[in-house]
Amino acid sequence: MTVMEKRSVEPLLPMTPAMFHVLLALADGDKHGYAIMKEVTRLTDGAVSLSAGTLYGILRRLESEGLVVEKDERPAPELDDERRRYYHLTEFGRRVARAEAERLEDMVELARSKKLMVKVKPI
Amino acid sequence: MPPQRNTFADRAFRFLLRFFPSEFRGDYGREMEQVFQAQRRESQRNKGGLLRLWGETITGIFTTAPREHLEMFRQDGGYALRMMRKNMGFTVLVISILALGIGANTAIFSVVNGALLRPLPYANGSRLVTLTQSAPKAGYDNLGFSAHEIEDYRQSRTLDQVVEYHTMAFNLIGEGEPQRVVTRVVSANFFEVLGVKPLLGRTFVAADDAPGAPPVLVFSYEYWKEHYGNDTKIIGKQFHMNGKVHTLIGVMPQIPQYPTPADVYMPVSTCPFRSNPETIKDRTARMVAAFGRLRAGATLAQAQQEISGMQLRMQKAFEDDYPNDMDFNIRGSMLQSDLTKQARPTFLILLTTAGLVLLLVCANVANLSLSRQLRREREMSIRAAVGASRSRLLRQMVTESTILSLAGGALGVLLAWNGLDLLISFAARFTPRAHEITLDGRVLVFSLGISLLTGIVFGSIPAMFSTANPYGGLKEGARSDASGKVRQRLRGSLVVAQVAVSFALLAGAGLLLRSFYKLTQVNPGFRPENVISMLVDLDFDRYKNNADVARFHKALLEKVNANPFVLSSAIGLTFPLNQGMMGPITGKFEIQGRKRAPGEPMPVFDFRAVTPGYFKTLNIPLIRGRYLTESDSDPKQAPLLINESMARHYWGKEDPIGAHITVDGGKTWNPIVGIVGDVRQYGLDRSAAEEIYCTQAANPTSMASLLVRTSEDPKKLIRQLTELVYSVDPNQPVSRVKTLEQLMDQSLAPPRLTSTLLGGFALLALIITAAGIMGVMAISVSQRTKEIGIRMALGASQGSVLRLVLRQGLTLIVVGLAFGVGLALSGMKLMQGLLFGIEPSDPLTLVGVTVLLVTVAALSCYGPARRATSVDPLTALRSE
Repeated sequence: MTVMEKRSVEPLLPMTPAMFHVLLALADGDKHGYAIMKEVTRLTDGAVSLSAGTLYGILRRLESEGLVVEKDERPAPELDDERRRYYHLTEFGRRVARAEAERLEDMVELARSKKLMVKVKPI
Repeated sequence: MPPQRNTFADRAFRFLLRFFPSEFRGDYGREMEQVFQAQRRESQRNKGGLLRLWGETITGIFTTAPREHLEMFRQDGGYALRMMRKNMGFTVLVISILALGIGANTAIFSVVNGALLRPLPYANGSRLVTLTQSAPKAGYDNLGFSAHEIEDYRQSRTLDQVVEYHTMAFNLIGEGEPQRVVTRVVSANFFEVLGVKPLLGRTFVAADDAPGAPPVLVFSYEYWKEHYGNDTKIIGKQFHMNGKVHTLIGVMPQIPQYPTPADVYMPVSTCPFRSNPETIKDRTARMVAAFGRLRAGATLAQAQQEISGMQLRMQKAFEDDYPNDMDFNIRGSMLQSDLTKQARPTFLILLTTAGLVLLLVCANVANLSLSRQLRREREMSIRAAVGASRSRLLRQMVTESTILSLAGGALGVLLAWNGLDLLISFAARFTPRAHEITLDGRVLVFSLGISLLTGIVFGSIPAMFSTANPYGGLKEGARSDASGKVRQRLRGSLVVAQVAVSFALLAGAGLLLRSFYKLTQVNPGFRPENVISMLVDLDFDRYKNNADVARFHKALLEKVNANPFVLSSAIGLTFPLNQGMMGPITGKFEIQGRKRAPGEPMPVFDFRAVTPGYFKTLNIPLIRGRYLTESDSDPKQAPLLINESMARHYWGKEDPIGAHITVDGGKTWNPIVGIVGDVRQYGLDRSAAEEIYCTQAANPTSMASLLVRTSEDPKKLIRQLTELVYSVDPNQPVSRVKTLEQLMDQSLAPPRLTSTLLGGFALLALIITAAGIMGVMAISVSQRTKEIGIRMALGASQGSVLRLVLRQGLTLIVVGLAFGVGLALSGMKLMQGLLFGIEPSDPLTLVGVTVLLVTVAALSCYGPARRATSVDPLTALRSE
């Protein structure tokens, strides 16, 4: 698996905001599709709301790139809908998300250095 | 979880999911439905939430679905490209076959598009109507119009413009050598009706048409470019023509000239013949052609009705000018179809042929793919076993075939583009619109269309019969018997179709080749070898009377005959295969002592005024009587020669020699002194006209050609002969220098080109079919190895195995032939107009083609059949 570990994240950057939000939604635990959708809405205060078509287009791409995998572990049947699939952020997916976050941070730094934003001082 | 009800919303959502690729649907469809149900439940809580949800959902699907399809295509395409690289031989073979098929269709379609489909390059081209006045009972197909008649037709209400024109050759004297220029004499509205704006200066206005207007000229773009090298300061320059000073007022833009290219344009007031008061006064002085423009909203039928009525009124009003026994007629026809009348049948046959070749290509490539599919059975089964759906595999195969056919199409367009000049020169033999042929957007869309169609057709035939059985294909040596038989039958049908199409194409090509051969075997009635012709058209203002003309001709012939390489020479008003500006020169005659039945039209003859050396120069044999001599010069009783056809028609078994005829209504009666052989004056495929010859001495013509038979290659003498003309008159231009062999070659060019093209297509078809048969038989033999092994183990001889395989192949071929004969016979009517001397159902051709096809097909079966006989029973049995 050394090859996998060395896989570069660069070709996947920059990401679309929607894709990044899906990764963020999965960062703190596995979720099924509808949960991801709700989480994205919650995280962005409703600014980003994904439709089913858009969400699954993104999931298909994330799966084919190996950023996300389907998890076999499922909740107890009485809490589950068998049509649901549960998605898990892979180690590689986490690296990509981190790289994207760093990229965004660099951009923000750059904007600050150009005096486009005021640096927030720690209290 | 409570079971979900299947609501309308669920069904609607499921319908929307169909826009995704099936794989995507398979992976995520059920969960998406579940998510959408949950979203619906939640959105019902807010006002307007449901509506917004639907909006977002539909937008989301329609933005995501195309992306998913594209992604799928990228994957399939990438896979296809890898497979193509892996099977380079197959790929190259298929692309080449497709390139030939698509290239042929692109080429022929570009011809059809340029010449038949594109609108005329003139303003209101679709409203232009050619007018033709004829008198069929007097033998005139196209009589032309007189000035009076043009004026009358201008009163038409359905034609808002009537344009007249005619073409003359005049000497143009500016700087340098005098030029013989093709001059189109046109009414002032000519340019306006065609919508032609000048490149420089102006075109004609009504005042230029008025009698006595100052003489003016307009140059064609080509003439200006060739002789004045794009000189933009040329407007206003003066030229001498017909003894008058003409001012150049304009230069035309570079557009196709109607009806044929001309060098110079002049208004009717400037033409010495057309502006002659005698000509204008005489209603029977019919010397101009005419076309009109339909008034907006008027139809051709309305115009036809109106002009026919107008002509009837003219006939009543001027009985003497429209003799009843000539049966006067006027016909309007759309200019666009007029210009391509001749070309249409040839081009459509070629398009049909190209289409058939493409069908053949499709069948062949489909067969190749079927064979390859056999070898890919395991691969497909593995893919099916790991979850690829049937539709996915089908799409994979169609993607591969589409990529192949697009590559073949691109190569084909390149081939067509390469051959474009050749095509234009080919088409130019049939239509003046040939130079409008290009690979324009429409042609490229056509090529793209047929490429895609070809790909889909040849890809889906094998794909539909793919077994893609996840279990069967994986077992070593396993082969689903049922599907194998289906495929074998399919391959058989494809071979039958190929044989049928090939037969039809071979039959068409065979007919054209036989017809062409017959044409070359026609006796033209003269010997064209080593004869050269040049037009020496004397300027009428310097050669005012017959004596001047006769003197010039005599002096010229004396000088020419003194040349050591000249065997004989002559002057003729016209000569065989002469494609001059003048049509047939005909007249009417009466035979002394014969009465015409009432209503019987006067007999018509083709007129030839020649010097006595004409017959020796062209080698026209004397049948009876004597040739003409120098002394036959008295116009009042000039002796005449007639040709065989005329003698046969009017005298039958009687002897025409000694009979007298009149061509001027009885003023003079001329004796017939001899009969000469028939000459195919207007083309090898046209029968001889009924001809009367008289001497140039008795009837000198200022427009005439010098004809010279030489002992050497006559082309070497061109310079010398031209100088001889200059030595008699330094201001006398020489034009249209052609050997009779060149003219003969030109007249044979259209049928030769058509039969070569069709022959090429047919040969291509034969090769493709032979390859197809060989491939199918080879596969069949390899599939039947076990069966053949058993037969041989049970004592079958090699001969009986050979017969077994050959019988299988020949059965397909015979069935194909049966269909082919049907196809050929139903297409024969198309060929009728193109054939000379044979019937479309010519049995010899059909039998010959059958023998050829069966031989080639049998040879193609023979190789695989031989291989079958070498099957070793033990090996065959062990292999399974």
